Amino acid sequence: MYACSRTFAGMATTNRAALRVRAYTGVEGAFSLRTCLRCPEPDCAAACPSGALKKVEGGGVRLDKERCLSCGACVQACVIRALQWNADDRRPIPCVHCGTCARYCPNGVLALEEEA
Amino acid sequence: MQETILHIDLTTGTARRERRPELFDRFLGGTTLGTELLWQYAPPEVDPLGEQSALIFVTGPFSSVFPVATKTVALFKSPLNGELGETHAGGRLAMALRDAAIDALVITGKSPSPTFLSIENHEVTFSSARTVWGQSALASERILREYAAPDGRKGSVVRIGPAGERLAPLACATVDGGRHFGRLGLGAVMGSKNLKAFLVSGTGGPPIIHRGEHRQVYDAIYDRVVASNDMKKYHDLGTAGNILPLNAIGGLPTRNFSQGFFEGAQALSGEAFAEHYLVQHMACAHCPCGCIHMAALREPFAPFHYRTTKIPYDYELIYALGTLLSLSSPPEVLSLVDVVEKEGWDAMGMGTALAWASEAFVSGVVGLRETEGLPLRFGDGGGYLQAMHRIRKGEGEFFRDLERGVAFCAAKYGGEAFAIHFGGVGAPGYLTGENALLTYLMGVRHSHLDDPGYGTDQKLLGKSLSLEEQVGAAVKDAQWRMVTNSLVTCLFARGIYDEEMVLAGLGALGLSWDGEKLKRMGEEALRRKYAYKIACGADPRRGKIPEKIFSGTTATGPVDRGRMELRRELYARMVGLPEEV
Repeated sequence: MYACSRTFAGMATTNRAALRVRAYTGVEGAFSLRTCLRCPEPDCAAACPSGALKKVEGGGVRLDKERCLSCGACVQACVIRALQWNADDRRPIPCVHCGTCARYCPNGVLALEEEA
Repeated sequence: MQETILHIDLTTGTARRERRPELFDRFLGGTTLGTELLWQYAPPEVDPLGEQSALIFVTGPFSSVFPVATKTVALFKSPLNGELGETHAGGRLAMALRDAAIDALVITGKSPSPTFLSIENHEVTFSSARTVWGQSALASERILREYAAPDGRKGSVVRIGPAGERLAPLACATVDGGRHFGRLGLGAVMGSKNLKAFLVSGTGGPPIIHRGEHRQVYDAIYDRVVASNDMKKYHDLGTAGNILPLNAIGGLPTRNFSQGFFEGAQALSGEAFAEHYLVQHMACAHCPCGCIHMAALREPFAPFHYRTTKIPYDYELIYALGTLLSLSSPPEVLSLVDVVEKEGWDAMGMGTALAWASEAFVSGVVGLRETEGLPLRFGDGGGYLQAMHRIRKGEGEFFRDLERGVAFCAAKYGGEAFAIHFGGVGAPGYLTGENALLTYLMGVRHSHLDDPGYGTDQKLLGKSLSLEEQVGAAVKDAQWRMVTNSLVTCLFARGIYDEEMVLAGLGALGLSWDGEKLKRMGEEALRRKYAYKIACGADPRRGKIPEKIFSGTTATGPVDRGRMELRRELYARMVGLPEEV
């Protein structure tokens, strides 16, 4: 998440990442990775009322910032909560599947794979 | 660029933001800046548990920005030994403070009733903590995290357990999962302010201005953390991997420092824990190493019914609640750790107090009258568990006293000769030799982390160094640690953050420092801390070494009184302590 925020937003935080590691409370907790699954029919894009969020060739979605209404319907539509929200400019942060997060995953949990 | 101090006054229930860029320019952050704030907001004359005392938390310019810069430095006046209180913790606190653009947090005053704080960016909400007062340190986190962020979103939760509420000098504050402001009684200071917890979260983060330069330095550090052997041991076995090597050289404190060899070490080794109990590694936010080791303890509570608890372990816990008490069964050690975690005690403080109590009991300094019928015996895990529950419930004066620490108990009941504390702080777990003892005696925190003493002892097994070289190495490193503890990097990465790397990092952030300037800052920071200690009446030149240490031996042989004095004089001179009056 740090790697993603650093690379795309130029900020040393996890707040601008296009993925999320959900940690459950307490030392007894577990982790759950929420990354964009490149859905063949993305629920987030379907929920976008202005056509700002669109499926792209090769998988994933792209945002046309000019058309975004900041309604948040896309984030709500992503049931696994992979699509993240930029609280400052009030827009979603779609994953571009670049693999930067995998480069900085020390244990190889994340990997960028070509789809067969 | 760091500049923001958030002041929170619990008496009035108000918060204000102050910009002090000149302080960060001069002192960087972390320990050096924190010491200046300590002088200002909790000067030596304050009562550590009085309304006038302060809690100071500081990050540094590397926090969130470079890997393994995960620590937050806390400064306060210690209710345990009445002098400089300093402790560092990881978890998510440094990340959350930086996300909230808070570079230092100063908490003063006293809330009229139990309170917790929610700090989001620069907004502070004061809420009643009446319903969580009395909850364990673990339950408090679950409750408050859910209350503050139902979606489980990140942020940091710093809280005390019941020990802090009782103002126990051995109380710690727990940070997120299994990290602690452990030593010197910060938990009691929070309790004295009626502050059960504070939560920090932010929606921003520090901008990276020189992205190309930053990435170059970042990657160099990252690759060394992940791909070299510099930090591998901390991830694989963790610090518990030290049990067998220290035992092999006779440096593993056993039965209240009676000897450095524990016959049950194999069962408590990092290897044995990994094979039979390890279930998960965890990391502080922005650490690619991940040194936190979690064990699972499966215990029956009724026929065919089991409870499984995840419990963090590391070398210090195994030493303090294992070898020091002559316990060689991991489930027994983990059971004690679990109580310590829930109650919110400093594990090393509790272990050294119980070890003193055991020796006091077997030597007749205290008896069944004081312990109200409970024998305290080395090796008796069930007995120690009962003792902890008595302390927790406040059952009996002797047990209430134990959470005031080994120094207090020995002064009251006797047995000072075998009260293994330095400057009022229960000793760390290295019986390697005179260098380690000098660290405990002279170190500003009386901690094995103050300088590389225990490492120098181990080097002596292979080569010879003059006393001046040994003490010189300690002082030089203690001064350098002032620099890295100001950035604030984790000491486990001390091999990576050498002068060259630190200067490269500062340069990439556009901060103009050179080696000489850093060195001078480190030297001066250390002197400022000693000045604070001396003003509190705690001159390290007059600290005592427990008599028992002279009658036993260490990994590098018996301890010589004359040589220890010489070491102490050298240390004081090299640090530049003012002349004694």
